[in-house]
Amino acid sequence: MSQKVDPELTAKIEKFGKGTWNECFHCGNCTAICPLTEQGFLFPRKGYRAIQMGLKDTIAGSVEPWLCYYCGDCSKTCPRNANPGETMMVLRRYLTSVYDWTGLARRIYTSKMFEIGAIVFIAIAVLLLYVSFTFFPSGEGNWIGQDGGVLINKIAPWKRIHLGDWIMAGTLAFILISNVFNMWLKIIFKDKSVKIPFTAYITEVFDFAWNFITQKRFNKCDGTKTYWFLHLFLMLSYVVLFTMIVFFLEWFQTDTVHPIWHPQRLLGYIATVGLFVGIIYFINNRIKKAKENSKYSHYTDWTFLVLLFLTTLTGIMLHFFRISGMPVATYVTYLIHLMCLVPMLTIEVPFSKWSHLAYRPVAVYFANLKKAAYKKNLVK
Amino acid sequence: MADTKLTGIYFQSAIKGNEDTVNFTEVAAYIKKYNNVAAIWNADEVSLADANNVAAKIKEKNIKRFVIAGDKPGMEKSFFTKAMVNAGNKAEDVIIASFREHGAIRNADTNRAKAILACAVNAVPFEEATQTAEVPVNPNTLVIGGGIAGIQASLEIADAGQKVFLVEKTGTIGGHMAMFDKTFPTLDCAACILTPKMVEIGQHSNIELMTYCEVKDVKGTPGNFTVKILKKARRVDLKTCIGCGTCTEKCPGTAPSEFDAGTAMRKAIYIPFPQAVPNKYLIDGESCTYVKSGKCKVCVKVCPVPDCINLDEKDEEVEINVGNIIVATGFKIFDAKRAEQFGYGKLPNVVTSLEFERLVNAAGPTGGNIVYRSQDKRNNWVFKGDADIPKSVAIIHCIGSRDENYNKYCSKVCCMYSLKLAHLVVEKLPDAKVFEYFIDMRAFGKGYEEFYERIKHEGVSIIRGRTAKIEEKNNKLMLRGEDILGNKLIEQEIDMAILAVGLEPREDSANLSKMLGISQTEDGWFMEANYISNPVNTFTGGISIAGVCQGPKDIPDTVAQASAAASRVLQNIVRGKINKSVKDLSLEEIESQVNKLA
Repeated sequence: MSQKVDPELTAKIEKFGKGTWNECFHCGNCTAICPLTEQGFLFPRKGYRAIQMGLKDTIAGSVEPWLCYYCGDCSKTCPRNANPGETMMVLRRYLTSVYDWTGLARRIYTSKMFEIGAIVFIAIAVLLLYVSFTFFPSGEGNWIGQDGGVLINKIAPWKRIHLGDWIMAGTLAFILISNVFNMWLKIIFKDKSVKIPFTAYITEVFDFAWNFITQKRFNKCDGTKTYWFLHLFLMLSYVVLFTMIVFFLEWFQTDTVHPIWHPQRLLGYIATVGLFVGIIYFINNRIKKAKENSKYSHYTDWTFLVLLFLTTLTGIMLHFFRISGMPVATYVTYLIHLMCLVPMLTIEVPFSKWSHLAYRPVAVYFANLKKAAYKKNLVK
Repeated sequence: MADTKLTGIYFQSAIKGNEDTVNFTEVAAYIKKYNNVAAIWNADEVSLADANNVAAKIKEKNIKRFVIAGDKPGMEKSFFTKAMVNAGNKAEDVIIASFREHGAIRNADTNRAKAILACAVNAVPFEEATQTAEVPVNPNTLVIGGGIAGIQASLEIADAGQKVFLVEKTGTIGGHMAMFDKTFPTLDCAACILTPKMVEIGQHSNIELMTYCEVKDVKGTPGNFTVKILKKARRVDLKTCIGCGTCTEKCPGTAPSEFDAGTAMRKAIYIPFPQAVPNKYLIDGESCTYVKSGKCKVCVKVCPVPDCINLDEKDEEVEINVGNIIVATGFKIFDAKRAEQFGYGKLPNVVTSLEFERLVNAAGPTGGNIVYRSQDKRNNWVFKGDADIPKSVAIIHCIGSRDENYNKYCSKVCCMYSLKLAHLVVEKLPDAKVFEYFIDMRAFGKGYEEFYERIKHEGVSIIRGRTAKIEEKNNKLMLRGEDILGNKLIEQEIDMAILAVGLEPREDSANLSKMLGISQTEDGWFMEANYISNPVNTFTGGISIAGVCQGPKDIPDTVAQASAAASRVLQNIVRGKINKSVKDLSLEEIESQVNKLA
C-alpha cells in the first residue's frame, strides 16, 4: 500500500526533542544490539527510516517506540552517534501527541510557556475552589481532636474533596481512555496486513495485567535491575496512594490519629518511601546524566519530576502537621499539596509524560495481539 | 608600497568538529594593519541569501576589491562575484585566500594564515610572495619503510642511477603485502609480485638496505639532511651468516611470530619468513634466553660459521647525508580488542582479517588449510594444521572504521579484501557456508565491481547490515545482526568469524612527523601538500610521502603513489637544485615581499 510522504515531518518531530536522525546510515547495529527487539517488531533503526522518509502514517501506527525501555546499549555502540535510544524517546513524545485528540499534548510538549501557563492556571483554579469549599481554622471552634491531631475533616471535609477527586479522575480517565482507543485505531485497526483473532483480545488480557504489575519487559533491558526495581516500586506506590485517595478517602483522611502499625499509616509510609526514593533517584540521574537514558532531559521530564517531588514533599508535611495538631499549617499545606497534585495529574496523566502508564502496557498488549495473529498466520 | 584599493574581507566560519583550527580572530585583528582594509565581515554577520543586499553594503563602504578568507573560500566565490559586479566592480577583483590550500590548517599555522591573507588583500599571488632561494641537492635519497611503497620508490630511484638508503624497522623488507595470500581483484599471488622486487632490492648496487634499523633524528634543510639511524643489535653477522637454520632448531626461546600476525610461534633466533630479504637470521633480544638470563649460548655452539653470532652485540648509531626523503611507513591494523562486542581476544575463533590472511596462505602456519584456532603445548592459541575445519564463516565489515567510537573514516580496502577472503574460503572449503555482513559495499576501482559480482555468483551470502555482537553459545559463535534489506533480525550460529579490521596510522607517526617537520591530519595520517593536485609532496621541501602513511589505499594506488614520490625526488636530483621550504619563511619576510610586489 502506498503512503504519502510528509516532507515537513522531521521538522514536526524535531520539536519534541533532540533530532539526530540525519546521522543514521542504516547499519542495523542498534536493532541487533537491542535486547528487546524481536522478529516482527524491529527497532530502533526502522523508526529512523520512517522519520527520514517522512512516513507519517507508519510512525503513527508503529507500536515499536513503546516497546523500547531505553537501556541505551544502542546509543553507546552506535557508529554514527545518532543516539537511537533518545530518538525512540522523542518518538514516544511525538506519539503521545498523535494519540491525543484534544491537541493539548502537542502544545504541552512543544511549548514550555504553554506548559507552565497551564500548570499555573490549574493551580489558581484549585486555590479558588479550595478557598471557597474549605474552612480556615480560625476563631471559635475546636480544631484539634482528643488524640492531639488536627480534625482535618472539619477543615476540608472528605466528601467535598472526594467530589472534586471524582470529577477530576473521571475527566482524566475519559481523555486517557479515548486516547488509548485512538492508539488502537492507529496501531491495530488501520493495519490491514494482519487480522487479530478475537480470542486473543481475551487471552492476552492476563499478560497485559501481569506486565502492568511487574513491568517484566522493562526488566529484560540489560543491566537495569536497580532502575527497574525503583521504577516499579515508585509505580506501585503511586497506584496505592492514588487508589486510597480516589476510592477510599474516607478511610485515608481520618480525624483520629491511628497507631503507627495501622494499615492506613503503614501503607501510606511505605508508598511514600517508594515515591520519594524513586524521585530522588531519577532526579539524581538526570542531574548527573548518570545513565544513557538520563543524558538528555526534555523540559517535560523536569516538570514531571519536580511536580511529583513537590506533591510528595507537601504530602509528608501535611501528615506531620496534622498529627502534631497544627491546624493553620495543615490548612495551608493541604492547599499547596493540592496546587501541586492537581496540575500534575491533569497535565501529566492524559497529555504528557505520565500517559506512558497507559500507553506502555497497552502497547505490549497490542504487540501481543499482533504476535498472536502472526502465530496463527493471519497475515494478509 | 602597500596597495591602496579599498578592500572588504569575508571570513568563513571554521569547519565544524575540528577544534584545532587557525585562530580566525587573531588573523582578523592582524589584517587591520593594512590601511586599505575597509570592512571585515564574519560569516554570522552577513547573510548569503541575497547578493543585492551585500552589493549595497559593498557600495556603501566604497569597496573595490573583495577577499574571501577561510578553509574553503572557493565555495562562496560565485556569490561575492555577483555582489561585486552588482556593486559596479570587476569580477577579477574577487580574490580567494584559501588557508587550507596553502598549508594553514592548525592553530600553530595562524601566522601562515596571516601571510596568506596579507597576500590576498594586496592582490599578490601567494606563490609569488613566497619564492624561496634555491640550494644544491645531495643526490642520495633516504626511503623510510620497506613495504611495497618503500620498495617501489627505492627501485624507481635506484634504477635511475641514484643512490638510495632504504631503512626498515623489522628484520626484513616486504611489509604487510608479504603477509597477504592473494591480491584483489585479479587474485594474483601477492608473494609472486612482491618477492622478485624484494630480491632486486637486496641485489641492487645503488641501494643500501638497512633492515632492523630506525630513523632517530633528522636535521638540516631540503637538499641537505643529516639523518641519525639506530642500527639495532641483530647479533648475527649479516655478511657471514649462511642461513643454514641450525641455530633456530636448537634455540629454546620462543615468541609469537610477527610475520604470522601472532598465529604461530617463532624462535628467539629466527628468520622472519623463508623469502625474507636479507635472508639472514637475527636474534630478538626480548625472547632470547641469553639476553634475558646471561646463560644459554646454544646458537653460538651449533653455528657452523665461526664468530657469526655475537650475543653481546650492542645497538649502534650511524649518520648518513641525503638530499631527499621518502616516507613510506605504512599502517597498523585496528586493535579488534577495542570493539569488545565482537569478542576478539576472548573467543578464539573470532579472528582478524590479517590473521586469516596467514591462515589461508600456503606459506602460512597451516600450509593454507583453514582450521579452528587451537592451543599448543604451552597453551598459546595458534593455528595448527591438524585442527578441525570450520563449516561456516562470517566476515564482518567495518570493524573500527566508519565508527565515531573508533575511526570515522572508511579504511577503503576492507570491502575488497573481505570479498577476496570470501572467495578463498569458498575455494578451499567448497562445503562451507560464507556470510558477509556489510554496511555499504565499496567496490570502487577498475575491475572491482566485477569482482564483487563474481563473488556473489560463487554462492557467498552477502547481507546488508552490520553485526552488533558475537557471543559464545553451545561451543559455537552466536552472531546477532539485522538483515536490513530482508527486514529480519538475524541470530546465526557460525564456526568462525573474520573481523575486517580497518587501517590506522602507526603509533610512531606523531614522533616521525615531529622529527621530519611534516604535519598530520586529524586522523593521524601524514599530510600531503595538496590532496588533489600534489598528493606526494609535503609542506617541507625534499620530503615526500607514499603509501598508506598518507591515507588508506590499496596496493595499486600505493605503487602508483610510490612511483610518483620517486619522480618528485628524481626531479630535484636532475635539476640539481631545490627550493627551501616555504614554511621556513617568517611572516615578516613574506610581508616585505608583499610590500615589494604590491
